Amino acid sequence: MNHCVPDFEMEDDYSIPSSSSLTRPKRPSMPEDEIMELLWQNGQVVMQSQNQRSLKKSPPFKFHDAYQSASGEIRPSSSHQYHHHQQQQQQPVTDHLFMQEDEMASWLHYPLSDANFDQDFCTDLLYPSSAAPCVTSTAATSAPPPLGRVSQVSASASAVASASRPPIPPARRNDLESTRIQNFVHFSRHKTARAGQFGPLNSKSVVRESTVVDSSDTPAMAPESGASQAVPSNTEAASGRNNNNTCANMSTTAVTNTQSVGVSMGASKDNLATCEVTMISSPGGSSASASASASASASAEPATLKAVPAEDRKRKGREHDEAECQSEDAEFEFADTKKQTHGSTSTKRSRAAEVHNLSERRRRDRINEKMKALQQLIPRCNKSDKASMLDEAIEYLKSLQLQVQIMSMGCGMVPMMFPGVQQYMPTMGMGIGMGMGMDMGISRPMMPFPNVLAGSALPTPAGAAHLGPRFPMPAFHMPPPVPAPDPSRIQPNNQSDAMLNPLGTQNPNQPQVPNFADPYQHYIGLHQMQLPPPQSQAMAQPSSRKPSTSRGAENLENHPSGDTKRKR
Amino acid sequence: MSSRRSRQSTAGVSRISDDQIIELVSKLRQLLPEIRDRRSDKVSASKVLQETCNYIRSLHREVDDLSERLSQLLATIDTDSAEAAIIRSLIM
Repeated sequence: MNHCVPDFEMEDDYSIPSSSSLTRPKRPSMPEDEIMELLWQNGQVVMQSQNQRSLKKSPPFKFHDAYQSASGEIRPSSSHQYHHHQQQQQQPVTDHLFMQEDEMASWLHYPLSDANFDQDFCTDLLYPSSAAPCVTSTAATSAPPPLGRVSQVSASASAVASASRPPIPPARRNDLESTRIQNFVHFSRHKTARAGQFGPLNSKSVVRESTVVDSSDTPAMAPESGASQAVPSNTEAASGRNNNNTCANMSTTAVTNTQSVGVSMGASKDNLATCEVTMISSPGGSSASASASASASASAEPATLKAVPAEDRKRKGREHDEAECQSEDAEFEFADTKKQTHGSTSTKRSRAAEVHNLSERRRRDRINEKMKALQQLIPRCNKSDKASMLDEAIEYLKSLQLQVQIMSMGCGMVPMMFPGVQQYMPTMGMGIGMGMGMDMGISRPMMPFPNVLAGSALPTPAGAAHLGPRFPMPAFHMPPPVPAPDPSRIQPNNQSDAMLNPLGTQNPNQPQVPNFADPYQHYIGLHQMQLPPPQSQAMAQPSSRKPSTSRGAENLENHPSGDTKRKR
Repeated sequence: MSSRRSRQSTAGVSRISDDQIIELVSKLRQLLPEIRDRRSDKVSASKVLQETCNYIRSLHREVDDLSERLSQLLATIDTDSAEAAIIRSLIM
């Protein structure tokens, strides 16, 4: 590609396409007949005639002409860049040659001595695709400054701004401000659109940049410092994007300063927000704080912009003041919506508190609905307060775990129980008891063991059913204690009744059959049990004495064990 | 627990406050296998409650499955045996 610096000298040349849109044949003023091209050679701009390809240094003034005629949006921006670029190359701006005594002249009169205004910036602009990566940092630094400067320049149209930015050559583009601003805004917008990055990060970086800009004392310093300081933030995001944002930011700042609020408004929302912030800071008036807060609220980034308004407010005496008028009008509407003035911290705190309250409320709601769901899962849970409900949930969960454990064990054991159950039972009971680790009386399993034989001898299946559970319970060592303590002692356990009914023998008045299958009954019984029920009916038939005694023992034991369990 | 309950009853609603809730939630957490195995320092109450509900449901399912199996087993053996009794005791 022909890396030619575009020649804005002649209007005619604008239409001449070059290898790159930015390159335009440059016709030196002197040799009218031949088309001179500004070529980028060896790191500097040289002028070559298209015909001769002679190396010549293109006078900077060439740009002036080009720039002068530049009326398009892009051209001026590119001309800016090129101008800067060329100026970098050729510091001595011989503006006398084709100096249009307009702003362009002033423009050139002050060569961009800014080091930042290096070629990288132009390179980035010229060859964004290729140069972007290499000129990331530099471009970041350089991009904002040039644009900022340009904007500053236009901004400087206003007295204070301009006065404070002497070192910035482009700051004198008073006349072209409007156009340039527009161009710049367009440029920035164009760049931004090109970059396509308007995420919060950009806004944040922009905001930060604006804040940085605000922090600088002098307007002249603002763009530079902002640019330099913005470098780190720029480097965060894509350099191009940041540049765009920064430029947009600066341009908007300048715009506001130069009553281009409309333009800034036209900018993207983020830029607008940032511009507002910037504008606020730049004017540095009391309104700044208001507008800062307003803009901050306007932008959908309270977190990021909260700091900005605060900082803006702190820097009341910011650089520019003209922008206040227009920016204030735009921002006051936002400002009115929030508390502004001087309570930056209060505003921030109130907002943070609101957010916190909302999140807290949402968290509580989530917890409450989960509690309700849990309550529905727990049978016979009539507790209303959270703590007791959680208590019941814990116990129920434990009992459920126990039940599942026993049942699975029973499933595994039953097939093995075909042979001598009696022999296995005690062994299993002991083993299970030990394994389970339940603090139930180990001696107990031995006691009812004889009952197993007796139980098996029971003629009635019901009796066997009654006894069955009882006997294996001690053997299991776990189940007996669990259901044994008459969960239905006080509670007219429908469940135990139901269970007992199939067994067929239980007396409804005092269902003593341990609700083995429902360990939770045990817990409930434990909760409410107080006296050992007269365990007579289940063991009424055979060996009633023993079972009752055993049961009594169980009950007695279950009391403390139950309590222990409860405490557990 | 009873002591806590008595405390609850005597004290004001404020007593039934975060401490108890936290304690209960931690207890629940102990029971929950998933959370217990993992790091349990940053588990929120909401998550614990959710896990508890899920766990209870899964336990219910398991109990149902086991009951089913036991009843099947019961069908295979003679009902007079001790095993049947055992199984019946296991089944609700």
